[in-house]
Amino acid sequence: MPEKPAVRLSPERISELEAKVAKSKEIFGQAYDRFPVGDLRMIWSGGKDSTLALWICRAFCRERKLSMPTSFTIDEGDCFEEIDRLLRDYAREWGLQLDWGRNDDVLRAAGHTLMADVEVSSLSERNQAEIRRIGMGDLTRFPFEAESYIGNHLMKTVVFNAYVEEKGVRAVFQGLRWDEQAARTDDEYFDDVPAGELTPAHTRIRPILHFSERDVWDATLHFGIPFCPLYAQGYRSLGAKTTSGRLSDVPAWEQNLAATPERAGRRQDKEATMERLRKLGYM
Amino acid sequence: MCPARLAPMNASQNVILLTIDTLRADVLGCCGGHLGLSPFIDSLAASGMRYSRAQAAGPYTQASFPGILTSSYYLDHQDHGKGRTLSRERVVISEPLRKAGVATAAFHSNPYLSAFFGWNRGWDVFYDSMQDQVSDEVPFIQAPAINARVDRWLGAHAAAGRKPFFLWTHYMDMHEPYVPEQKHVDAVDPGLRLSSQEMLGLFKNTLLPRDVSDPGKVETLRKLYLANLRKIDDCVKEFFDILERHGALEDSTIIVTSDHGDEFGEHGGLSHDGCMRSELLHVPLLVLNAPGSPKGVCDRLAGGADIPPTILELFGLPAESRFQGRSLLSPDDEAARGVFSEAMGKRGRQKDTDRPVYCYREEDLRVSYLAEEDRWELFDLAADPAEKRNLMDCSPRAGEMKAGLAPRIDRKRT
Repeated sequence: MPEKPAVRLSPERISELEAKVAKSKEIFGQAYDRFPVGDLRMIWSGGKDSTLALWICRAFCRERKLSMPTSFTIDEGDCFEEIDRLLRDYAREWGLQLDWGRNDDVLRAAGHTLMADVEVSSLSERNQAEIRRIGMGDLTRFPFEAESYIGNHLMKTVVFNAYVEEKGVRAVFQGLRWDEQAARTDDEYFDDVPAGELTPAHTRIRPILHFSERDVWDATLHFGIPFCPLYAQGYRSLGAKTTSGRLSDVPAWEQNLAATPERAGRRQDKEATMERLRKLGYM
Repeated sequence: MCPARLAPMNASQNVILLTIDTLRADVLGCCGGHLGLSPFIDSLAASGMRYSRAQAAGPYTQASFPGILTSSYYLDHQDHGKGRTLSRERVVISEPLRKAGVATAAFHSNPYLSAFFGWNRGWDVFYDSMQDQVSDEVPFIQAPAINARVDRWLGAHAAAGRKPFFLWTHYMDMHEPYVPEQKHVDAVDPGLRLSSQEMLGLFKNTLLPRDVSDPGKVETLRKLYLANLRKIDDCVKEFFDILERHGALEDSTIIVTSDHGDEFGEHGGLSHDGCMRSELLHVPLLVLNAPGSPKGVCDRLAGGADIPPTILELFGLPAESRFQGRSLLSPDDEAARGVFSEAMGKRGRQKDTDRPVYCYREEDLRVSYLAEEDRWELFDLAADPAEKRNLMDCSPRAGEMKAGLAPRIDRKRT
């Protein structure tokens, strides 16, 4: 953790943030009413959004004397050491149960080496079925990357689905935001995902939906919530290590958040868009 | 002439823009087609204003949408290359609307209009579907799923206290690869039976290489495209049912249009490339349920770039100086000037060596300049709707039309 940066907020702004935190606690309350804690998981990537969600969840559980849900993080094989350290340090400090998900089969086939060729035929039947499912059945080998179209699917989506299925998870908390979103109904916070071919049915709960990027930073700094030091070096959004970039050396919270896109440095949006264009015949 | 004048709305009213990708005007009954595949869209046209001479700002999505959503032209800025983000010089219609307190929401599934390319500016809610799973057969989220999101958003918006909104919905379902369900194929040709693999085969082996050598295959592609029209007409009906259920129909002016058409060998091409012909540029444009319920067919020229200024004026908001189109609410005589379209003259996939194509229309004359061949073309769309006779060397208006387009060619871009 870098030294705590100074933040000066007006009393109005502080009560605004407190109201947003209260709204999130309300969503946690509804989630605990709907699901036993053993069926819930907190998706915690170590990024600023899911760490804020986790911090609010912890405050909520302490107030209500409830136990925390198990946290779940996915190691996609290309993780920042700084993120890894934050996850381990705070899991210990806050006494959290933290489960790690990995696609060991793909990591083994790649020899734990980025950009190494992975032979599709050397993968498990499940991974091969997943490759066919996303329309890449013609492929015989691919380079191992965490955020290519195929890498993102195998290293995150498949790992997530397998975990949900194996552990009988019924609902997960996600740190997703709808930036600068106007008031919404509570329905928007709960998204029931129906069962698909290889996707188990579950509910996605988004307790910090109403936080903007600015809100996240103001709350993080004001409430002293831990954050990965990479944000202080200018990263706005943290994905896989080799594909996350920064556009500035200025700490994320001091950048002009409105004028530049948060995910500009991220590869996975590009991959998703390029994949669609390829399927439409444009690439 | 126009049968009625559009007027601004009262406060608290909404604007809804429904755009249908790849929908050419002439297949619709309301635009003179005789296929009977679009009964609902035709009934909409009969209930409001239809602009019979609407021209897309470009013949494919990247060239056309700068007009529809930013009232600017594709070649104004150098943001049209591979992976470039929408220029900040362009004003997305959502931006001034949101600043004025209008709720803005977008639901679509066209990758060229995704957040990655910068189209998410100014929206309270922007759904581009890029994180969702799609299949190879239909590589985009389809209209029924888009409608479900609209339905949910309208419910949430109503519950949140109903400030005026601008809703943009876009359907991809007419777009290749054409893999319609058999029931929709039956509406076009009950004798046509193809598996989805055979349809994808036509996409990969005939449409993608732009191979028009076999007229039978081109005709089959056209039928599959028309089958998608039968489907999309039902989806538009479902969309209007959703609006009605949320009470949004009576309080909203609804604009229905398309970004471009599709070609089936009329001028030697397939799909939609940089070809300035009516099969790609002539789009439907309907304005429904405007204040005073004006009805009829308006033959003033309208371009995609006219849509954003129209939306601002409907909301009673001041004009945006960077918008290049003219509001459809403006008097007819102001529309006497022509409309422009432009693009890169690609064939199939875009290449770095592609050169621009420009065109300018006045009344029924359309002049084009193809930089690649340094060639001018002039067609009289009324006398020669198939655009077969180039009048550049014989029309008395050739010089005047050329002069109308010249300022746009090789202008400085930022």
